[in-house]
Amino acid sequence: MISSSILKKSQSLIALLLLMIVLSIVTDKFLTAGNLWNVLRQISVNMCLSIGMTLVILTAGIDLSVGAVLGLSGAICAGLLKSGISIPAMDLWIGFTVLGAIVAAITVGTALGLFNGWVITRFSVPPFVATLSMLTVARGLTFLYTQGQPISDLGANFEKIGAAWFLGVPVPVWISALFILVFYVLTTKTSLGRFIYAIGGNEKAAQVSGVPIQKVKWIVYALSGAMAAIGGVLVTSRLNSAQPNAGINYELDAIAAIVIGGTSLSGGQGSVKGTIIGAILIGVLNNGLVLLNVSPFWQQVVKGLVILLAVIVDKMNQKAK
Amino acid sequence: MKYVLALCGLLLFGCSSKESAEKPKIAVVISTLNNPWFVVLGESAVKNAEKLGYEAKLFDSQNNPATESDHFENLISSGFDAILFNPTDADGSIANILKAKEAGIPVFCMDREVNSNDAATSQILSDNYTGCVAIGVEFVKQLHGKGNYVEILGLAGDNNTYARSNGFHTVVDKFKGLKMLGQQNGDFDRNKAMEVMESMMQANPDLQAVFCGNDAMALGAYQAIQSAGKSQQIKVFGFDGADEVVQKIKEGKIVATGMQYPKIMAKTAAEFAVEFFKGRKDFPQHIPMAVNLVNSKTAKHY
Repeated sequence: MISSSILKKSQSLIALLLLMIVLSIVTDKFLTAGNLWNVLRQISVNMCLSIGMTLVILTAGIDLSVGAVLGLSGAICAGLLKSGISIPAMDLWIGFTVLGAIVAAITVGTALGLFNGWVITRFSVPPFVATLSMLTVARGLTFLYTQGQPISDLGANFEKIGAAWFLGVPVPVWISALFILVFYVLTTKTSLGRFIYAIGGNEKAAQVSGVPIQKVKWIVYALSGAMAAIGGVLVTSRLNSAQPNAGINYELDAIAAIVIGGTSLSGGQGSVKGTIIGAILIGVLNNGLVLLNVSPFWQQVVKGLVILLAVIVDKMNQKAK
Repeated sequence: MKYVLALCGLLLFGCSSKESAEKPKIAVVISTLNNPWFVVLGESAVKNAEKLGYEAKLFDSQNNPATESDHFENLISSGFDAILFNPTDADGSIANILKAKEAGIPVFCMDREVNSNDAATSQILSDNYTGCVAIGVEFVKQLHGKGNYVEILGLAGDNNTYARSNGFHTVVDKFKGLKMLGQQNGDFDRNKAMEVMESMMQANPDLQAVFCGNDAMALGAYQAIQSAGKSQQIKVFGFDGADEVVQKIKEGKIVATGMQYPKIMAKTAAEFAVEFFKGRKDFPQHIPMAVNLVNSKTAKHY
């Protein structure tokens, strides 16, 4: 009995291992060190977005704005690095170092997330609607800020964040691993983590038992915005260029990773651990389909079916319980 | 406060402008402003119309023929007098043009074609197919007719994606020594193209070249190739003539691209609209705009 419950708990991990075994059999290009680092580097952006959004979804909310926030913070990071801020009226020009530009981008992402949290708690706007509005606003601001043109050539130091290796591991992988650790500890070992699960499980009961609901929601949306900004810095650095349309539809990949990882969209159930496996699974799937040179039309069909299958299996397990 | 007043004025009097026999207004309807190339096309059209002394407004169809249809209905009812048009779909956009035609509003297509010879007043088109035939010829020359390559296509279901790919393959496929080992979509997106290229290099370590359906993807592919330390081994070919790519061709990092002229297309369309207002009616249906090959020899001219 114990073994079957463990089996159920780790179904997404089993699915991932199965997929990897199949890929290793059908192509000898999959299971190489080069390719595996490649996959981990590619998923680092979605990893940041999806672990950030996991907290939001655990509170029974959703954050549709992550892709757009990624685009805006990436653009601001690039713009500040490239041309700083000039205030002609005061004859003032402020230049930004790499660190300064990154901090500014994360501040912007956090502020937009806080705004989401404020709108949701203060006016009781459903998270879907509040963050959908933010998606449009942030995308529009990105186009305004960039004038619809890419901001490129951001310097060798900035490019290193996305391209360099440290102790044999690509830097973006280090960065996503660090945040995985932070979010894992946050959800499993802290009172904030307990509050998050409590709100998602039953908000009224949580309120009665003294959980500071408003504060917790502000924090989760702010963290989601901050992680989107970090994703934005990573994308911008990897391309050495900020694209005005960077991050379009990324929220969907993040939600897919979370759902495949077994986190329930109705809140209260799931884990950061699951999301990590979900994000890796999507990355491996994307990589495998290209390695096998599968037609792009089929790729979309396959990806959609995998997500559906993951959720169906999850539902069946819940019923069995 | 000033803005609030201006807004009220717009709401109250916006619809009455047609009767007051003002200067004609020109609408610029662009398939998508999500792509820098089309932003240049749309903004040049607006600037040229304004330079010629007319009020002009820019509309974004967001790659959606239904949004485009809404724009056309609004434009017709709010009294615009000419439309400089970059259609979302060669077939789907015809009905929209006919609506405008019925209302007596001329439509000038820019860059992208519609499959009808009597809907638009005139179509000023970039010759994607022939441009990519030229890229194909350059491709064969640079590789001496031998080697392995991959192709990064644009967007599934987009006309230009196939016009470009077909033009390229009519030449390249004649050479049996050139083997295409992979063909994947990059959605005209720099990041997507980079990731696809990373995976294709893993699948095919022995690559000599990549052909990308636009310059944003060529830049993404180049980034992947450079990170993998293969910039000496893999030659990159793009299409569009983006400034960044022309610069990289000068530096010897990218081999060739096709130069399109969005600014000239936009200017011609704006001038046609003005000539229409002045009474000209005999516009040629098709005006093809040549696409010029840019390589290390010709890059200094751009």
